[in-house]
Amino acid sequence: MITKDKIDEFIEKIPPAPKALKETLALLNSGELIKASKVAQTDLALSKYLKNLVNKPIYGFSHEVKDISQIFGILGVSDSQQTVYNYMTTLLSPSKWLLFKLNAKNFYELQARLSKRWELILKHLGKEDKNTISAITLLPASIIVSEALFCHKIKDVTLLRATKNLDYNTILARLCGMDLFDICEQIALKWEMPKEIGEIIQASSGLKPSCDEDINLLAKWMHLLLFYELSQPLFIEAGLNDFVDFQVDFIGDIYDDFATLMEIE
Amino acid sequence: MRAVVKNGVGVFTPQGFLDGNSSSAFLSLEDIEATLVLNVDMILVSLKRVVFFNKNGLEVFMKLFSKIRQKNHATVGFCDYDEKKYKAINIFYQDKMYFSLYKTIDIAYLFSSSFQKQNKNVLLYSDDKSQRSAMAIELHDNGHNPIIAQTRQEFREKSSNMGAYDAAIDLTYLGQMGQKIATRVTGNAIIYSISSFLDAEISSKFNIQYHNNSLNVGFRLFIFDAYKVISMNVHALNFFSKLASSAAEYNANICFVGMDFEKTTDTFKETLEDAGILFYDQMDDILKNKELLKELGASSAANTKTKRVINKQTVTELPRFIDATVVTIEMMTNSKAIKQSAQVQAIDIKDKTDKIASSIGYYGDLDGMVILVFPKAIAKKACELLIGENTNDIELILDTLAELVNIVGGRIKTLLSDQNISVDITLPRTYNNVDSLLEVIQDRKGVQVELSFNDDKFLFFLTR
Repeated sequence: MITKDKIDEFIEKIPPAPKALKETLALLNSGELIKASKVAQTDLALSKYLKNLVNKPIYGFSHEVKDISQIFGILGVSDSQQTVYNYMTTLLSPSKWLLFKLNAKNFYELQARLSKRWELILKHLGKEDKNTISAITLLPASIIVSEALFCHKIKDVTLLRATKNLDYNTILARLCGMDLFDICEQIALKWEMPKEIGEIIQASSGLKPSCDEDINLLAKWMHLLLFYELSQPLFIEAGLNDFVDFQVDFIGDIYDDFATLMEIE
Repeated sequence: MRAVVKNGVGVFTPQGFLDGNSSSAFLSLEDIEATLVLNVDMILVSLKRVVFFNKNGLEVFMKLFSKIRQKNHATVGFCDYDEKKYKAINIFYQDKMYFSLYKTIDIAYLFSSSFQKQNKNVLLYSDDKSQRSAMAIELHDNGHNPIIAQTRQEFREKSSNMGAYDAAIDLTYLGQMGQKIATRVTGNAIIYSISSFLDAEISSKFNIQYHNNSLNVGFRLFIFDAYKVISMNVHALNFFSKLASSAAEYNANICFVGMDFEKTTDTFKETLEDAGILFYDQMDDILKNKELLKELGASSAANTKTKRVINKQTVTELPRFIDATVVTIEMMTNSKAIKQSAQVQAIDIKDKTDKIASSIGYYGDLDGMVILVFPKAIAKKACELLIGENTNDIELILDTLAELVNIVGGRIKTLLSDQNISVDITLPRTYNNVDSLLEVIQDRKGVQVELSFNDDKFLFFLTR
């Protein structure tokens, strides 16, 4: 059905980060917000994406923010980096979704929700360094990878999943010895993302805990946040609720804290 | 979201947070329609991967439950929860629990009449005495051996020695039970449990597809455990008369055991006897009498109804049956499956050692049975994707082989439907050796195809 060769082919086809993006990220990394915004403006798709994303209600701006330098100025270095990484992830997304009932608008909505709530979590945990803030941006790549690998095998997986409750991650791991989170880590490497981003994403599967307790803690919060968002009607209807298995035991010790922070009654 | 069906139980597995907003998104109208037509004993919602729920979150499933009960009488409820979730549901619904609660899906299977593994020693406890009795009766009716712990302390002590029991049941509640006729298999006899007042509803409670499939695969003795029947009316009488007539076509026998005619007119008994139904006072009168068992046909599982041959239409569609198998094996193993030879003949298995098999029937515009025979080790390889672990547990391998054959059946259904041929598939059946398979199909002719993947050979047999 899906072979290791197909996965390698998929990873091979991932384009390197565009030059303008690399330059923007490098400038953000050195704290040069104004210079970074000028470079970002040269990439029209990035500019459009940034405007679209930060004007979503969850970002909470009272009036429309149009200027890229203004956006970077409001967001600051860490959140600007996170937003640019979010844009990079969208470069992988298909023009038409077949496996999941998604479209660009809903996918951006998921990115925005995850990003803002992740910031809230990191503030709560007191771990607000910029690479950790950006780690969340790679998580939705697992959805894109599932779509890319399984979209031509929809009948097969539907039949398989009607017989046994297997998630896409397990099917892939059993068939190819490589799962969605391994592929996300490969993407992070290819895009030269900071190493800890790949590590947090790997551990956030809930299946491969890290030896580093700090990374593990972040992974638990990320795992629970993912399923908090995937329990929203929009994403349940898109077929995302069970695309990977929710590891309830993995997040057991942080649930109460999470529920308080998200004001779940 | 769709239910995954196994052992006659359909299970929904939502994940994450179930509240008033989210839960309605889990079930579209199509999902509900698809659930209502499932031929299952139970529909359950697993709470294994739910970290938070409130009453509003459960309500959408309650509406589904209500529709299911109106439509096909299946048991409905929740499973896979811990004590905290169990208590929460009890608080939400208190006296209005018409649904059931099973601590785990494995416990639910014990109460499913389609669960084929009987004679389990089951320790059980409930704070509610009437629940304890109800569970014990249901388990007994399903062919298990219930052992009731009288106190929580006794349950804890006994369940700590799990070697003594196959299962231990607590935190379980039987709501309004499914009213489908419970079915169990003893040797080559099928026992149906009927109770209370038998009226027109018997035709919707009785799983006629299961019964017809049992006839087709060779069962010839059907016993109705009627100890708990109070009376029957003319609709039930007609139903059983027709059932007896159709059984006669297969040379099969139908018996009633323990039926008390105090509140049913004697002419009904005469009518049933005229239709060929036999009456016995005690179950042991049949099951412990080997001579009688032989006479009634329970000593052989062979289908002695007219031996049907492969017809032209089946041969025309043969490539689709083979395709369904080949594509499924390829999907499961990521390797190329190759057809090596095909012949019309009685099944011929050269080396019977260490081989297992699974079959699935189909009926509708076309009818017949697909059988796959594998060497054990090859079956394990073919099922690796579904098993997911290295195991030598033969029960697990057989269970998984049944799942694989179920996928083949599903694919056959789809491929034939593309040709405007409508069929339904039966539950898969497994055989842990070649002899038990041969006992069923005997010398029936069919199409035998040798197939292989990665140089591992297995056999496909299509018969009617």
